[in-house]
Amino acid sequence: MSLKKISIIGAGQAAAYAANEIRKHDKELGITIFNEENYLPYERPPLSKDSITNKKKYEELSFFSKEFYNSENIQFINKSVKKVDFTNKTLITNDAKLEPYDNLLITTGSKNKKLNFGVDQQDISDSILYLRNIEDSKRIKESINTHKTFAIIGGGFIGLEVASSIAQLGKKAYVIEMGQQLMGRVIPTQIAKLVSSYHEDKGNVILLETNIVSIELKNSVYKIELNNKSTLEVDFIIAGIGSKANTDLFENTSLNINNGIVTDEFCRTSEENVFAAGDVANFFHPFYNMQMRLESYQHAQNHGIAAAKNILGQNLPYMHIPWMWSDQFDLNLQLIGLCNDFDQEIQRGNNLEEGIIYFFIKQKKIMGACGIGKVGKVGRDIRLAGKILETKVDVDIDDIKNKEVKLSKLLKR
Amino acid sequence: MSEINEGWLEVSEEAGIEVEDIVRFDHDNKTYCIYRLEDGYYATDGLCTHETVHLEDGLVIDDEIECPMHQGIFKIKTGEAISPPACVDLKTYPVKVDNGKIFIKI
Repeated sequence: MSLKKISIIGAGQAAAYAANEIRKHDKELGITIFNEENYLPYERPPLSKDSITNKKKYEELSFFSKEFYNSENIQFINKSVKKVDFTNKTLITNDAKLEPYDNLLITTGSKNKKLNFGVDQQDISDSILYLRNIEDSKRIKESINTHKTFAIIGGGFIGLEVASSIAQLGKKAYVIEMGQQLMGRVIPTQIAKLVSSYHEDKGNVILLETNIVSIELKNSVYKIELNNKSTLEVDFIIAGIGSKANTDLFENTSLNINNGIVTDEFCRTSEENVFAAGDVANFFHPFYNMQMRLESYQHAQNHGIAAAKNILGQNLPYMHIPWMWSDQFDLNLQLIGLCNDFDQEIQRGNNLEEGIIYFFIKQKKIMGACGIGKVGKVGRDIRLAGKILETKVDVDIDDIKNKEVKLSKLLKR
Repeated sequence: MSEINEGWLEVSEEAGIEVEDIVRFDHDNKTYCIYRLEDGYYATDGLCTHETVHLEDGLVIDDEIECPMHQGIFKIKTGEAISPPACVDLKTYPVKVDNGKIFIKI
């Protein structure tokens, strides 16, 4: 196979690491990344946390420097792609220019779901902030600096991380969540409760099973009527209600889309020479024998690397066990594997100072684990849980329960 | 901690420290990690260069230390940051074992 040019649509983490990986193996291939943003690929986790609380500058978020991309001859084109012609292997940019490719990698990421309060309240819908990129984070930071009380619509990771930043800056957030618990989609109830109490202790208010009935904006104050007949008055509204794969460009094309771009374990899409990686891909996971779409830092990076290797013909299936984290206040929450299919739930540790982890076990095998603790206190055991899970060894419940037993021992049997 | 000649600082007894164990050592408002690997002892700064988290809670895999917070990875022997989010290298320090005791030179 002789490749000449790889084009990458989207300039997030998956794109940056794919380009870097390709260059490690091939110094000659043309690599072009189509970037809609005015920034080089950057880290997004700090956007809800350290960038807002002034611990990290926006300029410090790039994965690789401009000099790196220049010296590695990785080209950026600062345009959006308006159409992909799969038959003629050509991209058409917003200025109607044709950009041919030999191989295409799609890393368009995901985009925020948005609230809509109807045409009569378009001004309210438009005034709500969401977090996706640096510009969004800057707007949220500015809003926190200039207001005192906030409604956060959605009690998921992003909403809670922003709420945590708000409290750390001495302001107050009311988190409005429709579900029975925070982070309901993926996190065990016990941990959701710990997070909820922690926010309340720091001055935020968590409202579960709560819906918004109506919103009124008068004299710069939002009056939010809730389903429990109470009314909330806040200065500002920020929403984090989930995201979806950013596949707009491929609607009505031959590309197979189903909750993201469908790929196999080699990041290959339904179109020849077209690959997809990161948030946008609904990929086949051989370990779990199912399709999945993930939105996490580690996945974006590793999936980008995997796509690069497969573009270069290495035929390596992507098998990483899903792992994600959320940082709120001085707590670090981590989840590995899948925590929704188990016959035993085992607790290891009993306080936040040293970390609490719930192991989800099925037929004596670890399926997943989710833990929370003061920064640094759950990472090692969560990581080991992932390694043990991969080996599919039977585990002794007493070893899991007993924090004195090193989990690394279970790997060496 | 008793200081001895040539600027070496005593960290701890060697007894009970297994391969892949990490010993944290605090001195003069700084924190360090001493690692026992298959071929001896090594030392680096004790905090991850990405965020303020103690690497003593991290996981040693072969000759690499993985941060417990965001899985940034460093080479223990050189301090090199090899996997993000870590991108700044750790400083490394000489370690020696003398008479069953571990010493670090800062």
